[in-house]
Amino acid sequence: MTGQTTMSNTNDPTSSSSPIMEVQDLAVSFDNASAGPGGPRIQAVAGVNMSIYPRQTLAVVGESGCGKSVTAMSSMQLIPRPPGRFDRGRIMFEGRDLLSLTEQQMLKVRGGDIAMIFQEPMTSLNPVYTIGDQILEAILLHQDVSNEEAVRIAVKAMDDVGIPDPMERLRSYPHQFSGGMRQRVMIAMALACQPKLLLADEPTTALDVTIQAQILELLRELQRTRDMAIMLITHNLGVVAENADVVCVMYAGRVVEYAPVFDLFDRPMHPYTRGLFRSIPRLNDSKHRLITVDEIVEDPAEYQQLPGHAEGVVPWWPDPPDGVKPELVDGDEYILHQIDDNRWVGCFRSTHLDSMEASPPSLDFRRPDLSSVGQ
Amino acid sequence: MTSKDEQQKTISGIDVMRGVGIDRAKDFWADAWDRVYRRPGAFCALVWIGIIGFFAIFSPLIANGLPIWLVQQNADGTTTASSPLWQNLTATDLMLLLGGFIGIPWILIPMKIGRGHRLGMLITLGILSGLIIVLASAVSGYFGDSGASRWAREIEQTAWFVPVSTSVICIICGAGFLFIPFVDRILPRTVLVVVTCLLTGLAVGSRWNEPLINYEKYQEMAADGDARAWYTLVPWSPNESRTDLYVVPPGLTVKEKLDEMSEKPFGDRQFIMGTDGIGRDVLSQMMHACRLSISIGLISTGIAVLIGVTLGALMGYFGGIVDLLLYRLVEIFMAIPVLFLLIVAAAVLPRNTYVMMIIIGCVAWTGAARFTRAEFLKLRSQDFVQSARAVGLPLRSILFKHMLPNGVTPVLVDSSFAIASAILFEATLSFLGLGPEGQASWGKLLSSATGVTGTFVWWLAIFPGLAIFLTVLAYNLLGEAFRDAIDPKLRKAAH
Amino acid sequence: MFSYIARRLVLMIPTLIGITFVVFMLLALSPGGIGASLRVSGGQMEASKAAQLEAYLEDRYGLNDPVVYQYAKWLGRICPVKFGTRDQVTPSGELIRPPKSLVTPWMKESLYPDLENPEARKNEPIDTGSLDTDEKKARAYRTAARDYAKARADYIVATKELKHAYARYAKATGIEGAVDDDGNPRESRIPGVTIDAAAPSWKPVQAAAYKVLETYEIAEVARDRLSTIFGIKPFDEVGVPVLPGLVSLASPDLGTAFSRGRPVSDLIADALPVTLLLNLVTIPIIYLIAIPSGMLAAARQGTLFDVLSGATYVALWSIPRVWAGVLLIGYLANNQYLGWFPVSGLHDSDAASFAFLPTWTDGEFHRGYMLDTLWHICLPVACFVYSGFAVLSKQTRAAMLDNFNADYVRTARAKGVRNIDVVFKHVFRNSLLPLITMFVTIFPFLLAGSVVIEKIFSIPGMGSLVLEAITLRDRELLLANTIIIAVINLLALLLADILYALADPRVTYD
Ligand SMILES: Nc1ncnc2c1ncn2[C@@H]1O[C@H](COP(=O)(O)OP(=O)(O)OP(=O)(O)O)[C@@H](O)[C@H]1O
Ligand SMILES: [Mg+2]
Repeated sequence: MTGQTTMSNTNDPTSSSSPIMEVQDLAVSFDNASAGPGGPRIQAVAGVNMSIYPRQTLAVVGESGCGKSVTAMSSMQLIPRPPGRFDRGRIMFEGRDLLSLTEQQMLKVRGGDIAMIFQEPMTSLNPVYTIGDQILEAILLHQDVSNEEAVRIAVKAMDDVGIPDPMERLRSYPHQFSGGMRQRVMIAMALACQPKLLLADEPTTALDVTIQAQILELLRELQRTRDMAIMLITHNLGVVAENADVVCVMYAGRVVEYAPVFDLFDRPMHPYTRGLFRSIPRLNDSKHRLITVDEIVEDPAEYQQLPGHAEGVVPWWPDPPDGVKPELVDGDEYILHQIDDNRWVGCFRSTHLDSMEASPPSLDFRRPDLSSVGQ
Repeated sequence: MTSKDEQQKTISGIDVMRGVGIDRAKDFWADAWDRVYRRPGAFCALVWIGIIGFFAIFSPLIANGLPIWLVQQNADGTTTASSPLWQNLTATDLMLLLGGFIGIPWILIPMKIGRGHRLGMLITLGILSGLIIVLASAVSGYFGDSGASRWAREIEQTAWFVPVSTSVICIICGAGFLFIPFVDRILPRTVLVVVTCLLTGLAVGSRWNEPLINYEKYQEMAADGDARAWYTLVPWSPNESRTDLYVVPPGLTVKEKLDEMSEKPFGDRQFIMGTDGIGRDVLSQMMHACRLSISIGLISTGIAVLIGVTLGALMGYFGGIVDLLLYRLVEIFMAIPVLFLLIVAAAVLPRNTYVMMIIIGCVAWTGAARFTRAEFLKLRSQDFVQSARAVGLPLRSILFKHMLPNGVTPVLVDSSFAIASAILFEATLSFLGLGPEGQASWGKLLSSATGVTGTFVWWLAIFPGLAIFLTVLAYNLLGEAFRDAIDPKLRKAAH
Repeated sequence: MFSYIARRLVLMIPTLIGITFVVFMLLALSPGGIGASLRVSGGQMEASKAAQLEAYLEDRYGLNDPVVYQYAKWLGRICPVKFGTRDQVTPSGELIRPPKSLVTPWMKESLYPDLENPEARKNEPIDTGSLDTDEKKARAYRTAARDYAKARADYIVATKELKHAYARYAKATGIEGAVDDDGNPRESRIPGVTIDAAAPSWKPVQAAAYKVLETYEIAEVARDRLSTIFGIKPFDEVGVPVLPGLVSLASPDLGTAFSRGRPVSDLIADALPVTLLLNLVTIPIIYLIAIPSGMLAAARQGTLFDVLSGATYVALWSIPRVWAGVLLIGYLANNQYLGWFPVSGLHDSDAASFAFLPTWTDGEFHRGYMLDTLWHICLPVACFVYSGFAVLSKQTRAAMLDNFNADYVRTARAKGVRNIDVVFKHVFRNSLLPLITMFVTIFPFLLAGSVVIEKIFSIPGMGSLVLEAITLRDRELLLANTIIIAVINLLALLLADILYALADPRVTYD
């Protein structure tokens, strides 16, 4: 059911380009080491669709284990195989399927076209090499420059991410840096080769709040100056609200809702998304107690608010409350259904939906503030 | 519907995070055991250790130069029957046999009480019994020594000496063990302790002095037709030396080696693994040495773990000056190779099994201490310890009831390797001629393979060497299996 | 860094004291105590000679002093800081100490206060002026020293006699508790006893006392002479003075081995290079085999190679050294079987006449000293290598696997680093750190193993020396071995820590 990309939504003023990367029905599973041979495999990702446009920030949210990192790592072929396995799907990048590239071709993509930064700045740098060694390694791998030129590029990259006295710092070891500084180094390393896409896997989770803000501000600015797309994986809805253009909410290896950031925050449609928002404490709302996600997804009423419910369009959920599940079509019970022009919701694949044409999400949308500044 | 079936066989990453698919029904150790069983290597290791353990207990009944049953023709035509084998069993033999006959079904038969608990009871009573035997042998050794002072020797001659000293030892040990809550209710505990003390006391009292054994007497009697004798499977004792039968190759019978024996009824006896340089049967020695090997491994490691965990816990919990001072002690033992210290100690101290166990235990404790120390350093700052301290629990309770179960896992996993190395140490010391005296030992056998004559006797090298190797390998494999079974869990718990 | 090293070196001192104390105590508390074998060895001589020798040896090595005092004295000799008069050293390297003092006659006040020495002290002064050359001084010293040693021994034997005589007297006259279990008089009971001079058993006591006084006088005279000659410094003084006459620095004195009568330092100087040679050949081989095989196993995690090599390591590591040694000797060295290698020793008996390098003369191959040695150490080194390499391979594999899953490896891959570079540049470089630490385990392991292996292959190294010392209960030799082994071991550990600091930029010792 791998659908072809159709560019249907064009309500955005800046929609002119094609997506830089498209994830199409990706499914990844792992051997379950703790269950022993013959035990159930872990289906970390089970049919994910998403797309990123140049200069766009796609935020991927969802609780721990829902498959965010696996999706991102798959596009770099960084999934260890075994235990991992690509079950189906494609990841299109500049007309090529990244999953079908050989290791040799992948080396060019990794760090060159696509760069990635990770959650743990404390352990993501090799402790026995200097910062300079590690940044230079990246530069020399992807750019055909002399050593001095590479040093110059490295210094510039470090300067760009706001590391004071970069020339000196090249000779320091990672342990001599603070967490925030190390994350800057990671960013400098990732950006030194001018990637077109940056996969930022929870880049700020391990940092304290002020540093978090600085790093995100830095990423925004770099995106503006370099026309770079960012996939921002995070748990923090505040970060999403401030930085994302498009939001992709995931659960259990599937996309449950996909929409531009303002639409999503204004009118979340999937019960799980609603649950996520309502479980955030609000200062001005001291009367109500906090509602947990579980309470919402166990409430049948929540499932009926989706447009088209009457025809049998029901939000997908692994174990919905009784009476919610509609009549299903054979095969996968899940489908990502386009509700309106710029909103996709994961739904049960009822008879009604199966007859409709499935469309992978594709939103060439950017926040107005960002695009206006960019011009 | 194949796709549906396939789907049911997978779980999502969220399930994993929530712990679905991880079997919670079993507890930590049961689960670890389960994983160990599943590895073929570890399973074979367990079987091998079981075999060695079997011989450790039953070898006196399997390999013995004394007739198990002897019917003597008296001058007046009557017959008297006796069992010289039984009469010459030592107290240790008796208690081990008793323990073997009661203990193995006790553990194997399914019962309401948990198997671990039953094993604990058996081990506790075993320790009690062992303690009585050790103390009795110490007393008998002290008073019976030719260098003992005159009053000691006089006391020893009196008729009441043996019963009184045996009962005093039994009462002291038994009273002490009454306080160990290995069975929850006091009445059954008392009964168990009293019965054990009584049986051990009887065994010890009836075999106070080591009898002088004349193996050839029975053989001659049988040869002359004065008596009929029935022997055990391997009719040689480990210390039964026939100098005319030295270095007999494996498989030969007495008859083949000594022509004049062909008429005698025991001329058909075979030396399945040959004999050593002074005519002792190798197979019998191999079997009897199992006990030394197994007990040295277990008991000395037990001592080492006891010392190491106690000191390590103190260091880790208190830190500061206690740590600094005690760690110097650890360092002293680390500064010099363990084997070196063992050689020095074994050479100057009395050569007997108990002393050797204590020596190895006292020298090899640093590993356990370092592990425990590291664990306790980590645990010290954790909440449950802080709260235990805050509510004012006594130190003993904090250390050993709350922290120890959480911090002892690495030590226990490591102790399998420690047993292996203790067995190696014993073999090495025996090889160097520093082992226990009057005890069959694999290492001692091995050392006679390249004898003074310079010839190489292969069966003295292969059999004992193989036995040491397999036993050490078994414990190492077991240790590896345990470590692998527990490690991922430790990692998971650490996340 | 230097302050760290200095601190570590200082911290070694208590450790060394601790370890020698443990060994000393073990020796002292063993049945028979220190020098038990010395007493036994006198068995074949006639009784009075044996008693004399025993008394002499006990006196010479201070075996009758309290154990702690003996230990303190031993420490004093080991300590490089010396107090009081400096020792002297003969051109042949023998250490000369100031003459020992004499204790006053035993229980003179209580038992025979009135007994007089018949001969007056004839303390003729020696004319030191005539000893003008070094040679004369040395000869005079030798004579005086021999005289004093003999006189002192006589005196000690006489004292012993006196004790025995008194014990017999006490028994005969029935003084209660005057004699202990060993048959020696209890000194605390002696003051205040009333002596029954008429008793027949008193006569021998008196005679013995007379003898004691006589030998005492002679010994005193001899000692005075010796002191005088020592005072004019017949030999060079040892060490460098710090406060003249009070404090000086000198190299530690390891004493003389009871059993062989040679200075311990000589024995060690012969044995230590042998053991170090074995270790220095072994360690590189271990690392050279272990690291690649461990890396390969890690890189192929889960494959047949990994599983098989893992099993092989455990098996190798479980083979007892003693067994391996016996089998190697039996099958490869013994002439009954292959006989490819020499059975024992470090050199051929005529190796001293070999050229160092292999030569080819008269159409015949001469393997020379070096090859001969290598040929001899083949089997021992094999014995050392197999288990050490198994341990290290396993560690290498574990370390590599740990690092394969590390975050920075993921970062490196995300940068587009080639797989092989990831393995060597990132994973291996970090795995080196635990391998350096492994040295801490390997080195003592090898040192201890040399006891066994040197015994099996009859190699005259430290291990053999230790065994000899322990079987002969040679206190000086054993303690010296202990301290040398401990120092080497501690230095190796220190080296490992320093290497670790060099390899890991996170570790600094400042
Ligand atoms: N190398 C692996 N081996 C086995 N299972 C894996 C592996 N990598 C990921 N998984 C499984 O895939 C699931 C999804 O993991 P993933 O890292 O994508 O979650 P995530 O959404 O990034 O969570 P988090 O917010 O905690 O980072 C996890 O439950 C994990 O069990
Ligand atoms: Mg993640």
